[in-house]
Order: sequence, then structure tokens, then C-alpha cells
Amino acid sequence: MKATAPYVYPLLKRMLAVSLLLCLLLIISAFLGLAIGSTAQNIRQILAVLSGHADQYPTLSNIVWRIRLPRVVLATLAGATLSLGGLVFQALLRNPLAEPYILGISGGSAVGAIIGILLGLSPFPGVAFFAFAGSMATLLLVLLIASTRTAMKKDTLILAGVMVNAFCSSVIMFLISLTQDSRLHNILFWLMGDLSLSDVHRTLMLMVALLPCFAVLFLLARPMNILLMGEEMAANMGVDVRLLPVVLLGVTSFMVSVVVCHTGLLGFVGLVMPHLLRLAFGPDHRLLVPACIFGGGSYLILCDLLARSLPSQGEMPVGVITAMIGAPLFIILLRRSRQ
Amino acid sequence: MKGIQPSERLDTEYIAPQSKYRAIHLIAVAIMLTLASAKSGEPRFVHDLAGRTVSIPDNPLRVVSLAPSVTEIIFALGEGNRLKGVTQHCDFPAEAQSLPKVGSYVHLDLERIVALKPDLCIAVRDGNPKEVVMELESFGIPVYTVDPRNLETAVDTVLEVGRLLNATTKAQHLANEMRTKIEKVKECIAKTELRPRVFFQIGAAPIVSVGKNTVIHELIVAAGGQNLAEGPATYPRFSMEQVLALQPDIIIITSMTKEQDLEELCAEWKKYGGLPAVRDNRIFFVDADLFDRVSPRLIDGLETLAGIIHPELVR
Repeated sequence: MKATAPYVYPLLKRMLAVSLLLCLLLIISAFLGLAIGSTAQNIRQILAVLSGHADQYPTLSNIVWRIRLPRVVLATLAGATLSLGGLVFQALLRNPLAEPYILGISGGSAVGAIIGILLGLSPFPGVAFFAFAGSMATLLLVLLIASTRTAMKKDTLILAGVMVNAFCSSVIMFLISLTQDSRLHNILFWLMGDLSLSDVHRTLMLMVALLPCFAVLFLLARPMNILLMGEEMAANMGVDVRLLPVVLLGVTSFMVSVVVCHTGLLGFVGLVMPHLLRLAFGPDHRLLVPACIFGGGSYLILCDLLARSLPSQGEMPVGVITAMIGAPLFIILLRRSRQ
Repeated sequence: MKGIQPSERLDTEYIAPQSKYRAIHLIAVAIMLTLASAKSGEPRFVHDLAGRTVSIPDNPLRVVSLAPSVTEIIFALGEGNRLKGVTQHCDFPAEAQSLPKVGSYVHLDLERIVALKPDLCIAVRDGNPKEVVMELESFGIPVYTVDPRNLETAVDTVLEVGRLLNATTKAQHLANEMRTKIEKVKECIAKTELRPRVFFQIGAAPIVSVGKNTVIHELIVAAGGQNLAEGPATYPRFSMEQVLALQPDIIIITSMTKEQDLEELCAEWKKYGGLPAVRDNRIFFVDADLFDRVSPRLIDGLETLAGIIHPELVR
């Protein structure tokens, strides 16, 4: 046990250790997500259902496998995506407060998605494409507002994001107040984020769209590390400093917009997880990318668990919980970054 | 591919029943999966006017109501003991409040519904989200969709629900009673040409009223009034200025807000002494539930309105 042990540990070993640890957390969260819900169920029966003896309890088996499981998977995917989104934006914009929701990217995709729905498009690829276009448009807008001559000040970027986000929220309200369409009936869904509209088919489609993106970001983890040293340095070390940000922003925006189509606006997930994980495991993105996938996934599962088991009469949107946890953290980080 | 088909099927069904006049029966929508027919023993097959076959259990004993109006109808038929779950807004009659809640009618909690093991869910076409209805059907739970949206279909829905729950006699009785009351109001109103100008306020800030495509509009007209907000917008918003320009003879405010707020609202209107409604002291508060829920209580709403608009004719 030398004092320098962590530094000589091969990277691969650390990566495995971190991934395994968080994977375990994810499994525990997923188990809790399957075992607890808006109806109280006998834990022994749930264990029986989970271990494959579903025949005795057909109703419970339906609840566990067809209502809770898609929801847990959706929460995992959404949590992982939004955490990764936060991680990438924070690295790319060198701003600890950057996050898809705060930057207005989520809002932009929600506006796009709603327009797509109003045009009567199919959920995939039609609505997803509009959501993507919306997120790219807001991203450009935010960067344009923030990138005045006075360099990219941290607060300018966040202010621009907050304003664009507020604007998007008002556009969402406007579109919804214009239409009598029952598909948009649930304003809360779009503004507060909600995982209750998950079914097996949609969740599978989401998985197919997102898993390759996770892989791409994992492969780009080392260049992200180098990018953090500054663009000049990165260029010297053979990183394509023009292409890399474009690819990162593109992939991340795509992921976020696909998720927003399914969940509405879930705030601050991309803020909480990357910061927590950075505190725990250091700044290496080769560790942080898998950590965000597993950790972000479990975080949102647990938030959703709170959302659906707390109220006695009906469910609460999970965005309420994520915002309640995330917003105070945002304020703390903002104060610290000013000092 | 499998997942897309039901959505297309449901879409056509939701679009099909547009004509009001076809609805002697209730426009009912429900899809049965083969699974359900195996489960519920002896299913009954009901044909609706679009020629579809809807399968429901012969004697549904575990019914979950997905809307307050449906809950009220079921209790009015004396079949409340069949109800095993209601929405969180189902507060009438008092017995409904003690039943298990399955979320609000726009935000239904699927898990709670499935856990109640219903053999029949009764949904409303306008309000319950399609996705949830489809999901429920994929669990083999038959969902019968009713579409009460005016006086005539309120009566039809009573008959339809009565048929579903084997309470035909009681339903017939209740329907006749409702029709008699409607006729009575109509007879009274026919005695006069007078059609006072009514402003029906369902929201305070902003001021919101009701357009032509609403039950309340129909009630105002049936009660011998003229709806000042009549127009294509379902729930039009008004500024104070616009209402003053309309010169309402009567202002009716629904009790969506708390008591003291109503007093404040009334005081707000009373500032404008030139308004006919203020001059004649014709500002009224009514129970919103009598007007929002297309249930047997809608008739009470009609009678209340007639009494307000034509106090000289209706006692």
C-alpha cells in the first residue's frame, strides 16, 4: 500500500472499478424502482416475480414488467443522457454551470417536438427530427448571444441560456394555449418533465437511438480531456479542434432532443451528476463518461421513485424532484465559481 | 410494427364519431384484445353505430371510472358498489371520496388502475389521454369510452352506462326523469320571447367565458338566455373592457375559486354601476360541478340557470 498507489493504478483498472461500483448502484436503484411504486406490493411476491415465477401473480407481473420496467429503463436512459449532456457542455464551454436545461437546449427541443406533434408527424423520426432542429437552433442562439467580443464569460453564457430557456417555455405555453389538441393536454408533461408515458415499444426505440451515442462519447473522452487544456495545446497534440466540438455538440444535442421528446423538460440532472462524480473520481473524462451513464441513470431512477411513491392520490412529475435537488446546488456552484 | 397498429386503429375511432345526430346510442369506443375475452369469462358483444364490436364482461363487478361525470352517473344508477376506483376529482356523491384514487383524469396512474384488477374501465373521449386508454387495453382491461358532451348525450350516456352495468330499468327511469325536466324547462321558456344577455364567467384572472362548442352554452340557450361569449373559441378570454362593452344583463360566476374570492369578484363588478347586471343586482354564483360534469346533475344546472335567467317563469 504505497501512498502513490492511485496514480500508478493502470487506467483500465480504475475505469473498471468505477464502472462496476456505479453499475452496482444502478442495479440496486433499478431493483428499488421495480419493487416500489404508486401501489404498495408485497415484497415477497415481487421477489417471486423478479425471479421468474410470474404465473402466480399475473397482475403484479404486469405491473412490474410492463409498467415499472419500461419506466425504470426510460429513467436510466434519460438520466444517463442528461448527465452526459451536462458533462460534455461543461467540458466544451469550460463552464461548470453549463447543462442542457439551463442552456435552453432542452427547451428548444421541446418547442421543436411540440411543433412536430402539431404538424401531425410520427414520433420517430418526424418529431425527433424537429426536436433536434429545435435544440440545435437554441444552441446556436445561446452561443451567438454569449460570444460577444468580450470572450465567453461564464455568466454571459448562463444568462443567455436562462433567457432562451424562458423564451422557449413561453413558446411552449403559447403553442399549447393555441391548440385544443388533447395530445398536448398535459402542459405539466412538457414543462415539468414526466416519465409516466413510457411503454415498452417507445423505450426500446429510445435505447436503439441512444446507445450508439453513449459509445461515441466514450470514444471521445480522451480528446475531451485534452480539449480542457486549451485549444492551442489540444491542436498541438493532434486533436481536430474544429471538428471535435461540432461532433460533441451534435451528438449531445441529438441525445438530449430524443430524450426530451419522451420525458419533457427535466431540469438540472446534467448539473448534479457530473459535479458529484467529478468530486468522487476526479476530472478524467475516460472515467466520467461511464460514471455519468451509470450514475446519472441511477440518480433519475431514484428521483422518479420519490416522485411516484410520495403523493397518496396520484403521481407527481419527476421534474419537480430534480429541480428541487438541482436548483439549490446550482446556486451553490454559482457562488463558488464567482469567488 | 406491432405497437403502431393499435394507435392507428384508435385514431380512426376517435375521429369517426363526429355527427351529433348519429348519437342515439352513445358513441362508444373500446378495443378488446383476444386476451381479455379469455379472462373475463362470458363477454358480451355490443355493436356501436360504426359497426365495431366492443366486448365487455357480462356482469362487470370491478369497474374503474376514469372521470368524475362517469362516477356520478354510476352512483346515480345505484351501482356504486361496482366501482373499485375513481379519479382524484371524483367527489360526488360523498361515497365516491372514500374509493381508491387512480390519479387525475388527464394524468391517470396506470399502475394503480392495473393493481385494482378492473374488469371494466369507463373512460371519456374528451379528457382521458389516448395513450393510457391504449395501454390499459394492452393489459387486457376492456375500456369503454363514453362521450357525454351535451344534454342529449348526457341522457344517452346514462342509458349506455346502465346497459353496461345491467341496470337498464333504473337507467331508463333516470333518463326519463332527466328528459321530463328538460322538457319542463323548455316549456317554461317557450312562454317568452325575452332572451336576456348572459355573461358566464368560468375564470377570474384572466376573465374566461364559454364559446359555442360547450355544454354551458347549450344550457344558457336552453334556459332562455343569450350567451354573450358565443363564438368559435371554446374558452375565450375577455378583458374587463370587453365585458363592459357587451353590457350583460346577467353575470354568472362559477364557484371554481374560494368563497371570499367570489365576494371580491362580485365587488369588482359592482364598481361599474352602469352595467345592467349591476344595476338590477343580477350577479349570481353557481356550483361549477353542476356545469362542468356532463352527468345527471347537469339537469340541476339547467334548472338553476333557468331560475336565474327567467325567475318570473320558473319557480
